[in-house]
Amino acid sequence: MITGSLRGAAPEFAAIASSLLYQSSALGMDIEEGENHTGDGALSFEFKTPHTAPVACDVAGWGEPSRQAAVTENIMQAACGLMAVHGRATGKSQSLGVNYLSTLTAALALQGGAAASIGQLRGLPLSNSRTSMASAGLLSVGQYIAGATASESPETLLPGRTPYLARLPFVSLDGVVFELETLDAGPWRKFWSEIGVSPAAAGRGWTAFLLRYAKAIAPLPDELPRAISKFSYYRISQVCARTGMAVCPVRAIHDRARDVDSKQLWLRGPWEFLFEADPGGRPSSPAANGLPLSGLTVIESCRRIQGPLAGHLLALLGAEVIRIEPPGGDPLRGMPPIAEGCSARFDALNRLKTIREIDLKSSAGRAEIREMVRYADVFLHNWAPGKAVLLNLSHEDLSAINPSLVYAYAGGWATDSAEHSSRSPMPGTDFMAQAYSGVARKIADASGTQGGSLFTVLDVLGGVVSAQGITLALLNRCMNHAGAKVTSSLMSAATLLCAEDFQNHYQLPGTRSHQKSLIDTVYATKQGKIAVECRDAGTAMRLADALETVIGIGEEGVQACMNDLFLSRTADEWAEILEQAGVPSAVVIEDLADLQTSAPMQPGLSPGSYTKVNSPWSFR
Amino acid sequence: MPVTVSIPTILRPLTHNQKRVEITGFSVLEVIEQMERQYPGVKEKLIAEGKAHRFINLYVNDDDIRFSDGLSTSLRDGDSLTILPAVAGG
Repeated sequence: MITGSLRGAAPEFAAIASSLLYQSSALGMDIEEGENHTGDGALSFEFKTPHTAPVACDVAGWGEPSRQAAVTENIMQAACGLMAVHGRATGKSQSLGVNYLSTLTAALALQGGAAASIGQLRGLPLSNSRTSMASAGLLSVGQYIAGATASESPETLLPGRTPYLARLPFVSLDGVVFELETLDAGPWRKFWSEIGVSPAAAGRGWTAFLLRYAKAIAPLPDELPRAISKFSYYRISQVCARTGMAVCPVRAIHDRARDVDSKQLWLRGPWEFLFEADPGGRPSSPAANGLPLSGLTVIESCRRIQGPLAGHLLALLGAEVIRIEPPGGDPLRGMPPIAEGCSARFDALNRLKTIREIDLKSSAGRAEIREMVRYADVFLHNWAPGKAVLLNLSHEDLSAINPSLVYAYAGGWATDSAEHSSRSPMPGTDFMAQAYSGVARKIADASGTQGGSLFTVLDVLGGVVSAQGITLALLNRCMNHAGAKVTSSLMSAATLLCAEDFQNHYQLPGTRSHQKSLIDTVYATKQGKIAVECRDAGTAMRLADALETVIGIGEEGVQACMNDLFLSRTADEWAEILEQAGVPSAVVIEDLADLQTSAPMQPGLSPGSYTKVNSPWSFR
Repeated sequence: MPVTVSIPTILRPLTHNQKRVEITGFSVLEVIEQMERQYPGVKEKLIAEGKAHRFINLYVNDDDIRFSDGLSTSLRDGDSLTILPAVAGG
């Protein structure tokens, strides 16, 4: 059960409250309206179960409890550098146009409540869990911060500096906007050869294409989009089928909402739980230190972003995470930039884990994993659909060895069954899932672009959702001594992110946070940029007073006048003035290295060979 | 036919921490074979079963060899061969 005044949340926290209500009702939790308890958070609720004492969950705007400055979704996107990462490919710092950090914050807050309850059941005196929108923001761009602050050749990738006009996605002759995807150079080479592009240009395109995941840019040679725009979408699909390239049109939410599995996914929530019917598992072990998952063992066999981030979050909660890598280690360890001999970006997600090199292709390697699983609490993988069965490491295989095991799958699509992969050859990557789910179109509409973000929107949210599902399954295990299978995916993360859009499409009851802001703009100043958001007339009036002028809202001339006014002082000066006036605002972080000296964000970071993002939770 | 090979950080323990090495060879494969003789262990980090690892990118000047003649891509005096670990996500 959760108790709190979530339905009456302040406008700037309404999206967090709405997502919390959606997530907890999808979990079948009772929601009881109550007073905000007296925490320091901007939004508070109590998380309680029949087996645990209430956990007070505080959700703050900023990381420092003493910092009370007004904040909104878009202000935090500006302050944490997310606007800048999104803007690397769109041409300017701008918000994603979705309630991204609010959704992340809600998921982290709920997970914090569940984790503290696990701590109680394992002997820890925990009654409070705290998280903040700022810590969710830093978590979302943690890998990019690592890249920008690595000791060896750090990246400086500023919005709008990508030196090519060509941007993803592609557009066909008949106007279909679509994404292409392949994880291998072979299909890419064959595809562009059939489209009539020279091997040299295709090669340069491949290099640019690969930059998307790590750097959020894709400076493709102009020849590629130009050549493909002479083909109809039908012909492009045929070339894709022949060459092994995957293609997916950028669909709208209402297209996705008409898919047969869509409504079911919305109703179910972002996780699929399969609880063991027979509680034959081990009782809970005591916590090893002050963190709620300390003393628990997680075995992780994941690559890239989503799965490793889930493992990282469990490690931040105290779990011992053993990461299985192929013999010789994960090649992404060598991905520049480097800090102390390891890819900073890789280390950001894996620094707290113990590494075990195991060859999954050998029977000895698989036997070793089965032996490890016997004594583990969680097994997490993100293999391609069907692979777990082939390896004899499926849920059935491993729960037979350890009935208490929480078996987790963090995939691309909503299932890990091999049937799916035969029906759909699309690799379950972030940009394909953004296009298919409607998220890309929603971001495009808000950003004035044609496609989604090159920031890994769904990998990060999917990682949080996976860790949250595992934590909830562990809580169930502590209470009922039964293991579980938890499935989550980029697609389920997409549904969570756009939960209100689907709710509106299906005309289902529930809370809605949508309220368009009166002012939501990034202004250039004498030095730097400042993001300003006024969600209501009262705030707009306070802004007007602060600007020492009388303005009406929405008139073009006034906008121009405001543009000029903001040029009179620096972004730092404006931030101070507007904070005094109670107007949500923040200096827009464009170079992520500047976060290290940003007063509001610094408390969430730790310096070192690259700048590390701290745990989003604190417990007491 | 000496070419300059740029070594990524991850392989520098094998090249005595040298960032660049001068190697002689008429093709990418020949250069890698020659590097293996001078810096044992490099070859298995780059190729297996006659093909470059999927997660390693090899560039002759600025061109990815997979889009020319692969490991057979010919080299001229003064060319540069850059080894870069691939980036990926998902």
